[in-house]
Amino acid sequence: MLRGRRLLFALGLAALLGLIISPAYTVPKAVVIGREMLVGLVALLAFGLFEQWPARLPRWLARWALQVLGVATAIAIAVPVIYFVQYHGEAVPFWKDAKRLNGFSIMLSTGLLLAPWITVAVLFRQRDDAARHQALAFELERSRLERSALDSRLRLLQAQVEPHFLFNTLANVRELVDSGSPQATSVLDSLIAYLRAAVPRLHDPATTLGQELQLVRAYLELMHMRMPDRLQYVLLADESSADLRCPPMTLLTLVENAVRHGIDPSEEGGRIEVRVHERDGRCHAQVIDTGVGLRRGGVADDGLGTGLSTLRERLQLVFGGDAQLRVAALQPHGVCAELEFPAQRNPA
Amino acid sequence: MTGQRPTALIADDEPVLRKSLTRLLAQAWPELEVTAQARNGREAVELFEALRPDVCFLDVHMPGLSGVEAARHIDRRAHLVFVTAYDQYAVQAFEQGALDYLVKPLQPARLADTVARLQERLRAAQPVPDTDALLERLAAHLLPKDGAAPPLRWFRATVGQHVRLIAADEIDYLRSDVKYTLIAWRGNDGKPGEALIRTPLKELLAQLDAEQFVQVHRSVVVNLRAISHVARGLNETADIHLKGRSEVLPVSRSYLHLFRQM
Repeated sequence: MLRGRRLLFALGLAALLGLIISPAYTVPKAVVIGREMLVGLVALLAFGLFEQWPARLPRWLARWALQVLGVATAIAIAVPVIYFVQYHGEAVPFWKDAKRLNGFSIMLSTGLLLAPWITVAVLFRQRDDAARHQALAFELERSRLERSALDSRLRLLQAQVEPHFLFNTLANVRELVDSGSPQATSVLDSLIAYLRAAVPRLHDPATTLGQELQLVRAYLELMHMRMPDRLQYVLLADESSADLRCPPMTLLTLVENAVRHGIDPSEEGGRIEVRVHERDGRCHAQVIDTGVGLRRGGVADDGLGTGLSTLRERLQLVFGGDAQLRVAALQPHGVCAELEFPAQRNPA
Repeated sequence: MTGQRPTALIADDEPVLRKSLTRLLAQAWPELEVTAQARNGREAVELFEALRPDVCFLDVHMPGLSGVEAARHIDRRAHLVFVTAYDQYAVQAFEQGALDYLVKPLQPARLADTVARLQERLRAAQPVPDTDALLERLAAHLLPKDGAAPPLRWFRATVGQHVRLIAADEIDYLRSDVKYTLIAWRGNDGKPGEALIRTPLKELLAQLDAEQFVQVHRSVVVNLRAISHVARGLNETADIHLKGRSEVLPVSRSYLHLFRQM
């Protein structure tokens, strides 16, 4: 496609030039146009050749200069060769015939005069196109990224305030209040802490691990109040990790998954262990549960539902490829979800 | 029922919510006697079989057997009231099927309406409408979608005087007897137990996962998970030894090929 257009352009331009200069010649117009087209073809070949070759250029030689020079040289060689070949075997060589020499000079001079300018114009146009193309590609990529970031944020928003969780917890709060239980206030406090942490942080791309752990603690306190006989939990975190940056809802998503898919479906319940520590510039977080595990679903790896795939997406957006999420089955039953990402601190 | 106080069962996996319903019922319906409190669907069915209460309040979302599945086991032998925190689909289905339901957090006024309806039905000794088709659809809907868990098979079997629900997963082996089939199983505590069911072995086998359960003898079907090892005997026979059980199961000649590679 591109080659065809180039060829058409070069031949068309050569034919036009031939037509313009043809009145100065005694030979038929077609012959002049033909010669010019041949020269144009050679110039185009030179242009194409030096566009690719040599693959590496010395620093002092720009490729565009090489191409311009190449085109000029090709014309300087092609015109004499054409004349030589065409009038080979005649009594007088073409350079001794005044008329032929005149025609030769016109062709050579117009070629040498015009071709470099045309080459420069073409090169300029090419560079302009490439830049525009790249800008377009960048724009496309940027809007794609923006959209997927927005999508994942929306999904997070939809997934987060789970009505089933909210209404069940409120039902508990109501009973504790109605029956005058001293527990009521502390449960309400946990719910408030959970909601306060869960809601506005959606707009904040980077929170700290300390905040995230508070959110996890509030959530686990609520769940423990709701199923005291079925859920035990422990949080083990390095104190130094509290100010590490952590995308919101990462740890919480893993813990909610452990409750929802591990503990809640199990009649006897289980234990959740959250471990966070920093090692070699990486933050390691583990959420281990002894619930029903992957057994019942019989699904591997990503089978733990939309929560985890959304989390994977968000990690990809925040850390590029520099974060890992692994989910493994435990024996006799349970799941270990392991998250690893670069340990970064907010500038003070 | 005349002269006797009506009885009820409450099933919810959250203790505070069981207490809440019990307390509110005591206010709205003082004559009603809550005779059973179940922590999951399986307990609900077992307690129902043991105590036969007139009314069952079933939380829809419970571990193991859901409230809807428990309702299918109870069938039309009690008046049912479903309790749910939030499930648009279930609520719509309850409305369509004219099933009684309550929404958490419970509202006393709404509970009073439900109580009035139940009292009327008990007084008139109305039969419980057949809603099994609706419940079956609902049960399918309530299965976790993202985990794509296949439905568990449950068997209602007798242990001594009691009826127990046994999940297919919990069965070690089945052995057919003259009139019954013996189910050797182990519960959550891992202790082996035995139960009897009237269903013939052949029928039970058809309901079990063929990947997990194999017939090894005319009268024995075993769960592969429960096998500890297989010992070769004389005359083209073998014995199956089980994990945590002392009894030995026979493998007859025609089934021996199953263990050739093992």
